[in-house]
Amino acid sequence: MAARVLVAAEKPEQLQGLAGLVKALGAEGEAVALLAAGREEAEKAAYSVFKTLYYVEGGGRLQPCQLHELLEGLYAEHSPVLVVGAATKNLTDALARLSARHNLPMFTEAVSIQLSGDEVTAVRQVLGGRARARLAAKAPAAATVNPAVYAEQAQGLAAGAELAGLRAPAAVLEETGYEPKKREAVDLESAEVVVGVGRGFRRKEDLAMAEELAQLLGGVVGASRPIVADYGWLSEDRWIGISGKKIRPKVYIAIGISGAPQHMAATVDSKIIVAINKDKNAPIFQYADYGVVADLYQFLPVLIKKLRERLGK
Amino acid sequence: MALNIAVLVKASLDPNMIRTRGDDVDTDSMPLAMSEYDKNAVEAGVQLKEKHGGRVVVVSALTWGPLAKRQREYEQVIREALAMGADEAHVVVDEALVPGDPLATSKALAALLEKLGGFDLVITGEASMDMISSQLGARIAALLGVPFISYARRLELGDGVVTAVRDLEDGYSTVRAKLPAVVSVTGEANKPRIPTLIQIRRAFRKPIKKYSLADLGIEAPSKPRLEELKVIQVKRKNIIIEAENLEQAAEKLIEALEREGVLPKA
Repeated sequence: MAARVLVAAEKPEQLQGLAGLVKALGAEGEAVALLAAGREEAEKAAYSVFKTLYYVEGGGRLQPCQLHELLEGLYAEHSPVLVVGAATKNLTDALARLSARHNLPMFTEAVSIQLSGDEVTAVRQVLGGRARARLAAKAPAAATVNPAVYAEQAQGLAAGAELAGLRAPAAVLEETGYEPKKREAVDLESAEVVVGVGRGFRRKEDLAMAEELAQLLGGVVGASRPIVADYGWLSEDRWIGISGKKIRPKVYIAIGISGAPQHMAATVDSKIIVAINKDKNAPIFQYADYGVVADLYQFLPVLIKKLRERLGK
Repeated sequence: MALNIAVLVKASLDPNMIRTRGDDVDTDSMPLAMSEYDKNAVEAGVQLKEKHGGRVVVVSALTWGPLAKRQREYEQVIREALAMGADEAHVVVDEALVPGDPLATSKALAALLEKLGGFDLVITGEASMDMISSQLGARIAALLGVPFISYARRLELGDGVVTAVRDLEDGYSTVRAKLPAVVSVTGEANKPRIPTLIQIRRAFRKPIKKYSLADLGIEAPSKPRLEELKVIQVKRKNIIIEAENLEQAAEKLIEALEREGVLPKA
């Protein structure tokens, strides 16, 4: 049975964004989805834009070779014109294998995808997020997307996809160990307010000021590279940068951050950027909507106090 | 067992040296540099050679034009990999691969790897620093029909088996694969060495061999059209808040954020 679009996710929340993409493509009811997780997880994301939502019997973590095998089966069964995965590492790997096998072009982390006739057009951010490439190719094609990009289109989706279980294929690679990463339960990528900390902070304990500000605004604290990689004051999942997390908040407040291109490239989708830095020549001010030239150690306590009054907290 | 290792090296556009013509990125006048993670790939290959013996071969394809003008620049990138400790280089130079796309480049590189033959391990960077597609390793492994390990932050060889720690979003997965295999490495895999002057000079004596697609016995592969490459112009307001004291600055900032509608409601 043909389906125009095949989407793949590792987690139910990614499937929400992919459902939004299916809607944006106008392919409702003409899409099938693969969720590399068990039935219980699939029930959380059985959006009606999908004709069928395939899950993996028994769930469990799948390796790229297994994801690839599952996608091969669904690709053969549905002959889609477009295969889109959430831009996770395992799915990027699996989709690239599928693409090689079927001679498909693939657009990694597309920020927009259009289907018209047998032509697929995708827009990608390249050159460290400083340029935008528009690419076009004859369908069929593959792509990955950051599901958060389509979160808005996914508002108010109805449930109703038919569920179908698949058996996990055997893995080619032998996994001899797995160690989960330490998580602090922060979700920088979907946060509406992000407070960024940089080298302007002199001691780890001083980050408490940024944390207080973030809490006051219902936001989370992220960091530039030195704070994470050189000082180790915060964990890797707080790192805002091309190789770290990309953020898209309503407001990004960068404190004591100089504004390296690799950091700023990951913040371009912020609606408003505020910079607080004592060096009036810091590049960050070129990237900011509002800048305050001040010593963060003097300014933050005042800002926090004024915000408390304003917000009645 | 003397190892035969191929490292894939890309001469990337340098994202820190963007040149423009109007809104368009002028790729023809942007300098090329070795892609950042490819340095990790070369370092990984050279370290394995130092430990187990064998040789390291640089395999590359030119993907940014104009080819005629790029000769020296491109050779410099390849020589850098040779100076780091690789032994020889093989490069596809063909107009049909410009501008590059993983669909086409992977076919050319897979054909070259097959022609050269006999590799135990092919190492790539996790992604190129210019186009960040992160596909090449997976595609080449699929085309060659060998196992692929992506996003390795640690890499060890022993007894015909490669063991790697994959750096994933939620955790570290240790996997083993029989050789031959393809592995992509992350920036955390190692600290790429900086070649000494003597090593750089010696690299000039190491061979670089060039191939056209015809030499590889393949036709020009299809690839997506790069229709447009535009600089992202983010319009920011660039307002510096002027105030007599910190209290006033804080008040003005809060007012501005309220006007923008980005503060939570009281």
